[in-house]
Order: sequence, then structure tokens, then C-alpha cells
Amino acid sequence: MNRRKLISVSAVLAVASLTATAVPANAAEVGVSSSEIKLGMTLPMTGAASLGYNKIPGAAKAYFDYLNANGGVNGRKISLIVKDDRYVPTEAVAKTNELILKDKVMALLAPLGTANVKAVASSVNPSRRGIPVLFVNTGFSGFADVKKYPTTYAILPSYIMEAKIMGEYIKENFAGKKIGLLYQDDDFGSDALAGFKTAGINFAVKVPYASGSQGAAAAAGWITKFKAAEADVVILFGVSSATSAMLGTAAVLKYAPQWMLGSVGGDATTIKLTGVPAGVLYNAIGFSPVPATTDLNDEYVKLFSDIYAKAVPGSVFDLNVLLGMNSAFMTAQALKAAGQNPTRKSLMAVLNTKGATLANSALTPVGYSTKSHVGLTGYWVGKYSPTGDLLPIGGTYTTYTTDSGAGAVVKSTYKRPAMPAKGLPN
Amino acid sequence: MHKLKPRAHFTLFLIFGFLLFLAGNRVDELRVYQGASIAVFVIAISSLILLTGYSGQVSLGHGALMAIGAYSATLARNEFQIPIILTFFVAVLATAVGGALLGAAAARLSGPYLAGTTLALAIGLPSLANQFSILGGEQGLIFDVGFPPLGLGEDFTQYKWFFWIAALAALISTWLLSNILSSRYGRNWRAGRSNEAAAQICGINTGRSKILAFTISAGIAGLAGALLSMTIGTVSPSAFPLALSFALLTGAVLSGVSTLSGVMIGAVVLVAIPEIADVVAHRIGSSENITTNLPGFIVSALLIVTVLFVPNGPVEQHRARAAKKAAKKRL
Amino acid sequence: MQLLNTILIGITAGSIYSLMAIAFVLVWRSTRVINFAQAGMALLSTYFGYEAVTRIGSFWLALPIAMLGGAIFSALVEVILMRVLVKHSSSGPIAAVAPIIATLGLLGLIRSVIAMIWGGQDLRIPPPVSNNGFTVNGEVLVFSPLKLLILITTFILMVLLTILFQRTNLGLSLRASAYAPEIARLSGIRVDLIRTLGWALAGAAGAVAGVFQTVNGNGNFSPDSIEFSLLLVSGFIAAVIGGLDSLLGAVIGGLFLGVVISFVLIYLSGGLFFIAPFVVLLLVLFIRPQGIIGEKVGRRA
Repeated sequence: MNRRKLISVSAVLAVASLTATAVPANAAEVGVSSSEIKLGMTLPMTGAASLGYNKIPGAAKAYFDYLNANGGVNGRKISLIVKDDRYVPTEAVAKTNELILKDKVMALLAPLGTANVKAVASSVNPSRRGIPVLFVNTGFSGFADVKKYPTTYAILPSYIMEAKIMGEYIKENFAGKKIGLLYQDDDFGSDALAGFKTAGINFAVKVPYASGSQGAAAAAGWITKFKAAEADVVILFGVSSATSAMLGTAAVLKYAPQWMLGSVGGDATTIKLTGVPAGVLYNAIGFSPVPATTDLNDEYVKLFSDIYAKAVPGSVFDLNVLLGMNSAFMTAQALKAAGQNPTRKSLMAVLNTKGATLANSALTPVGYSTKSHVGLTGYWVGKYSPTGDLLPIGGTYTTYTTDSGAGAVVKSTYKRPAMPAKGLPN
Repeated sequence: MHKLKPRAHFTLFLIFGFLLFLAGNRVDELRVYQGASIAVFVIAISSLILLTGYSGQVSLGHGALMAIGAYSATLARNEFQIPIILTFFVAVLATAVGGALLGAAAARLSGPYLAGTTLALAIGLPSLANQFSILGGEQGLIFDVGFPPLGLGEDFTQYKWFFWIAALAALISTWLLSNILSSRYGRNWRAGRSNEAAAQICGINTGRSKILAFTISAGIAGLAGALLSMTIGTVSPSAFPLALSFALLTGAVLSGVSTLSGVMIGAVVLVAIPEIADVVAHRIGSSENITTNLPGFIVSALLIVTVLFVPNGPVEQHRARAAKKAAKKRL
Repeated sequence: MQLLNTILIGITAGSIYSLMAIAFVLVWRSTRVINFAQAGMALLSTYFGYEAVTRIGSFWLALPIAMLGGAIFSALVEVILMRVLVKHSSSGPIAAVAPIIATLGLLGLIRSVIAMIWGGQDLRIPPPVSNNGFTVNGEVLVFSPLKLLILITTFILMVLLTILFQRTNLGLSLRASAYAPEIARLSGIRVDLIRTLGWALAGAAGAVAGVFQTVNGNGNFSPDSIEFSLLLVSGFIAAVIGGLDSLLGAVIGGLFLGVVISFVLIYLSGGLFFIAPFVVLLLVLFIRPQGIIGEKVGRRA
């Protein structure tokens, strides 16, 4: 019976192929060998949302290469495996599964995107497996919740914090004016809305956009709505590609309200790359938790830009690069403090107890403890220069800090400690 | 169609199920996870074999049908808290209804017109999730089938649980489908596909037969969609891109578009290709661009080659060759 | 004012769909095959155009280069793939769908090859003329020199092609080869060559569609651009709406589709962007299955 034979053969083949690759378990900590520590990162490297963010792996690797050339961490090199998830949550899940199952990384570093990190949390469930998820590249406030995400560590100030700080600035400087808001139609956006609500801002018009649909054509539609509401100030709380689409189309249609850019999409270099003239950005208001990327008087900016210029010549040192290197720097310190034989558990213990003392370039400290994984807590306010670079208003950094709850927005008194020698963990 | 007696047929499925159970216990997590994906593809491809291979209706939109199944299962779970096993039934029913509607609309179309319509559906339907907030927009909804029951032990991983559920569903649906295909309905479909006018003369209501094909095919695709979302844990428009519909068609052609027994070939190939491509690319030591895109390249090339040289699938090809040999011997 | 803007946006997008539809119709008329890889070829031609623009610096030279590249590639596909296909797929359930599946495979192949050569990141072709809207009575219209260029080019191409088909011997040969290949062969027409020519023309039209689709947006494109999937679907639907057999129908279908979608987007909701083509297609196939211009031939392909 040919058919029966064929079915049986194909069945056996399939089963055999599955079985043939059974692999024995590894004794030491996953991702840690005597010479190497493996970390994994998922983010959009291609596709509409990748604009600007796809420089982050290069930046992190630049720092890790510098670190490895200077002895690594307790004699081990750090290697970073990067997978492109195209900002699609289901791909983030698939790629993260690969990182965990195939590449067997020790920890996940800086995964990008609120929806993506959430999807991974619920399906891959790194918490249940005890896998650290370090310095997630999203400001969604929920990730600081230790009960829900016990192994996840936020780094960016939450969107609620950012919205509250923006709200405070608006109340001080634009009282009585009509405010418009462009936001992403998911948890990223609803976080911002919550923050603005706490700050007591009432919008004349709110325009949501669906993640993935931020093109020039859509932007024309947004502008129509803002014009109709006669908004004086328009807040762009979206990703870089949405912000660029908006500014680019506004330039074409000669629409020029007072722009206020959220930090997620506010990197000037990225925006200018899409053809938006620097003049459009001039005098727009922006926010950043780390020093200005052109401020070579800042010791972190100086060192990191030097390292980056040597590693990736010709690429501009921008906010994405600075944040990427900063996270790499903090990771290296945490791994070093975890001792000669770091494990996932010891790494997280370090973060929980000593997280706040880790050196980092930001102008506010992180707030890690066993009860909270809140990252940075503040922003300074700046304006974009005629060449489109974000510089602090008045020339000095006035950092505002707040929380993700109902706490007030106050000026920060934090004095950032000096950078460890040569930017290496000590 | 099957020359196997029903009892032998059923036993075969039982044996295969047992083999899978054994295999699941022996391999590492990665293989188990891939096993779950293969099971999902088996179900989805089999639905296409019914529709395109037996009933002759080309569909480029089965990804969209899977989406319907996934979303209905998720909504049923999240809004009404019904038990997981029932969510799969909901998925099948909801998608079957959708399939019936689509079939009715498409009954007058054939060939490229049907293909184009289903293509438009594949692109358009998932994006509807952005219109209705209950569907979760681009971010999607979470579909959590929960942890494996404690009775199975501490070490029983989530992935293995997915594998068990998906493999069981695949076994059941494939067995049911092969029975349907060897029944009167299967014969009606093939008659209608070969020569519609002649079939009608023989008393077959081809219009109704085609709609039935769409309905059943959709229901099965819906099941696959719900299972796919189970393995990913979320359901969102991005899980059902155009590429998925194309991959299903590819898998169907590789299996032999009218041969259910070949369905595992297509499913395994689809899951294995990215693996193999990865290994090949690393062996050559090539650039990022090549490694990321090699799987897509291989799948497309495989599809073209198959359609050109093995158009009816390896199983059918083998059978035809055997028949030719037998005929020659008789001469 | 919004009404005018809506119509203008619709006509511009629609004329690009028309170009794509023309490509579909050309292939259909010469070889009775729907070439789903048409958008992939348009994408490849866009990359040719990009290379030309970056190296030569002139859009006006790059466009004909893209067209030429598209034409040549298209002709190659016809010779290498399609002829083999016709020879091999004789019987069985796959016969009717083999060309469809083959062209789909080709689409995927082209996309992955493009990504392997150029990478998956966004590249950019800057628009050749300004995309700033004209100012009329102090109001800025969503109509710019660029959009005018697109309209004019489409019109010129359509006129040229119509003249080719209706008024020249070549056109007559093209039509004859499609409808009655055996008789055409007997009359001495080199049917195979003519068919290849049909594909070449389609490739050129598709190239223009691809390049314009790119610069009409923000100029960015990549192998996975959603714009090209839309171009594929909309171009096909436009061709069907127009009746699949006539070039004029393709143009009308494209403009019709473009305007309808524009109205839906601006007056209803932006989110319906992807489902609108499907709905329009279904409605047209129900109400007037032979398309706006097509003859009452059965929908059996």
C-alpha cells in the first residue's frame, strides 16, 4: 500500500527530525561561559518605526567593544545578539523566543516598544523563567511595577512623568492657549494621557494615530484637525517616524504652531534625516533626561562620543546613541558588581540593592529597589537651535522631577556623581 | 479516496499521536516550540488543500481567516471568560460563518478574480482591528491559555503545553478532514473543480458545494489562527500579514495541493526553512542582509520550482510515476 | 476646499493606480495571465531608479532608466519563467492556479533579493519638483507641481499606449497574439516575441508607478513598504474595475478607485485605508461583474 507507507514514512521522518536534535542541558548559568556573557536585544532595525532607533545596537556594541578591549567584566567579554522585530509585537515574541531558546542569552537588554515588551512579558514570560529584562527602551509606567514584571527594569522616565513635566511647563508658559496633542493609539499613548490628566491639561484637540500608519498622507489628515481646532501649541508625543511625518508635512503645508516634542520622537538628527528642514525645528520645545548630545563639556558626552566616533565613523552622536551607550554602561557595572560568577539572580540582586548607585549619564538617579523598578525620574527643558539641536533653555540644565503618581513636579536638586575613570566599571 | 479501512485509518492517527507524545518528552524546548508551530501549519495548510486542491478555489486570504479565528477566540476568552477548549470551538464557528459569507460572495468568481479578491481581503481585514477599540488596535489583545495543569508536574513547560494542545488539535482536525474528503462531499468538490458544467449535469449543486468548501475550510483555518495566537500569547494585525497567506499557499503547493497525506511535508518545510537558511548563511559567513532574507528567498524559490516541476506535489508525482510504471509493465 | 483637496488627492493617487493597472492589463492582454509579481517588479525598478538618481543625480534621467530596467527585467521573466510554466503545467488541479502561484513566488523572490542586495532599511528618492501645494486665494491646496507631473505623465503614457495598440501594426499584432495565437502565428506574427514585448511594456509602466508611488509619499521606500503591497492590490482592483481588457478601463478604474478611497479616508476614517479597496472590489464585482468598460464575457479566466 503505497499511500500508507508514504504517510508512515513522512510521519516517522517528522518525528525523527524533531528528536534528532535533542540537546543536553547546560550546567552553568545560561548565557555565561568562562569567557563570555551573552545578552540579547530586540528592536526595530528596519521598517517604518525603525527610524533613529536602529542606531542603538551599534551604540551599545561600541561601548561593549571598548569595555572588552579594556578587560571586559571580570575577565569575560560581553557580546550582544540583536534581532530585528520591526516594531511588531508578535515578531518581538518570536525573536525573543529565539534569543532565549536558541541563542540562550543570559539577559535581555533594552527591548524597544511598549507593546512589544508587553507581548513578550505575557507570552514568553521572562519573569516566570527568571530572565532579567534590563533597561527596557520604553517609558510605559507599568513596567516599573515589581509585582507584574518582577524581572523587568525600567530606565527611561515614564510617559506619565514626561507628560506631567510638559504639563507644568505649559501651565507656566502657555496659560490660556489652545493645546493640541498627537499620540499613539496604544499603551504608549494612554500613559501620556494619564499624565496630562494629572497635570490638569485640557486639550482643544487630541489626534491619535495607529502604530504603523504614520506616513505623510496620514499627517496631512492630522494637520487638518489641528488647524480646525486652532491649536497654538501642538505636542507631538509619538515615535520618531510619526514626528518626522508631521513636521515634514507641516513644512510643506506651511503650518507652524508652537511645537512641543516628546523625547521618544524628539531626536533632532533622526528628524532631519527624513528631509525635515532644520528651520522647522527651530524654537520647538523638547525634553531630555540625559545631557545634550552636543554638550562636549559634559564628561559622559565627551567620552561616549569619542568611543562612538571611533567605532562607527561618520555616524552622528545623537540621543539614541547616548541612551544606548548609557544602558550598556550600566549593564556592565551591574554585571561586574554581580561578582566572579554572575547569575541571573545575582544580577537582579545587584540592581535591586545597588541600582541607585550605578553611575549613569542622566541628570536624575534611577530608583531601583526590591519594591520598585522605576528608572530615571526627570527631564530638563530645552529649545531646538537654528541648526536643530536641542539645547537647555537659558544655557544651564534645569531638571524637573516627579513621579508616576499624583506627586508634584519640582526642580531636581540631584548632583550627578563623577564618572568612573575612563568610563569603565570600577 | 482512502483505500484504508476506517478502523485502520483511525489507528494510524492514534499511533502517530503516541509517537508525538514520546517525542515531546525527549526533545528540548526549542524543538517542542517548533513542533507546536508545525502543528498549526498542518491545520492551516490542510484547510487550503481542501479549498484549493479539492474545490479548486484559489485563496490568497487564509491569513485573514486565521485572524478571524484568533480574534474570536481571544474575545470569547477575555470578554466572557469561557474555558479555553470552548474558545477554540468559538474560533471554528465564527470563522466558518465568515467563510460562508465569503464563499457566497466568491461563488461567482474564479481564477485570478477570486485570487485578487482574497488578496484584498488578506490586506484589508486585519487592519480592521484598528477601527474598533475592542479589538485592541495595532497593539493587539492578550490571549493567555494559562499555565499547564499542576497535575503534570513542575517541569512541564509552557511550550510543551502549547505543543500538546496544538498537536492534539492537528490530529483531530486532520482525521476529520480526511474523512470529509473521502466522502461524497469530497467527490463533489473534485467533480466541480474538474468540470463544473459536467458536474452540474450529474446533479451536483456546484454553487452550494463551493460555499460548503469555503465554510469548512474557513472553520479549520480559524482553528489554526486561534492556536497560532495561543503560541504567541497575543493577537494583533501584525501576526497575520500578507506573507502568512502566501506562506500557507506555498506550504499547500509543497505538500501537493490536492494531497492531504503530504500536508506534513509542507508544514515541516515552512518551519524548517528559517532554521536551515540560518545555518547555511552562517556557514557562508555572509552579511546581515543575506541572513535575514535568505529564508524568504529559499521559500519563494522553492515555491516557483515546485510549481514548475512538481506542480501537483511530491506525493502525487510519486503516485503518477508509480502508476506509469505499472502501466508500462502491463504492456 | 476640503472637497477639492479630497478630489485632488484622490486623482493623484488614482493615476498611480492606473499606471499599475495598465501594467496588469498589458500582461493580461498579451498572455492572459495575471502577474502578481508586477508590484515586485515595480519595486525593483524603483531601486534601479534610486541607483540612477544617486549616481547620476538627475531624476529626469533616472526615470527612463528605471523604465528601461523594468522593461528588460519583465521581458526576462516572461522568457525564463512563463514559457517554462506554460509547458509544464498541463493538467491536474494546479493548472488553473499555477501562473498565479508562480507569480506570487516570484513576488517573494524579488522582495528577498532586493533586501539581500540593498538591505531592509529605508532608502529615499527625493521628489524632482516641489511637493509644496499651490496657493490659491491664500489657501494652500494639497496639489503641487509634483502631483501635476504625475497626472501629466500618466496621461501621456496612456495616450502613447493607446496609439500603439489601436493605430500601429505592432499593436494589432499584440492584440491578435492574445486573442488568437494560432491564427496570429499562421499570419506570420512572431507570437512569442510579441508576448515578451507586452511584458516589457508592462514592466515599464509598473516602473513609473513604483517611482511615483514612492515620491508621492515622503520618498522613502524599502522592500517591505506597505505602499507596494497597496500598489499591488489597488492596481489589480483598478484593472478589474476597468474590465481587465482595456487600457482606458484601467485608467478609469484607477482614478475611480483613487477618488473613492480618498473620500473614505478623509470623510470617514483614516483607519479604513486597507479595507476600502476590498469593499470597492466586492461592490463592483457584484454590481457590474464585467467592469466599467469590459464586455460581457464570463468571469471564467
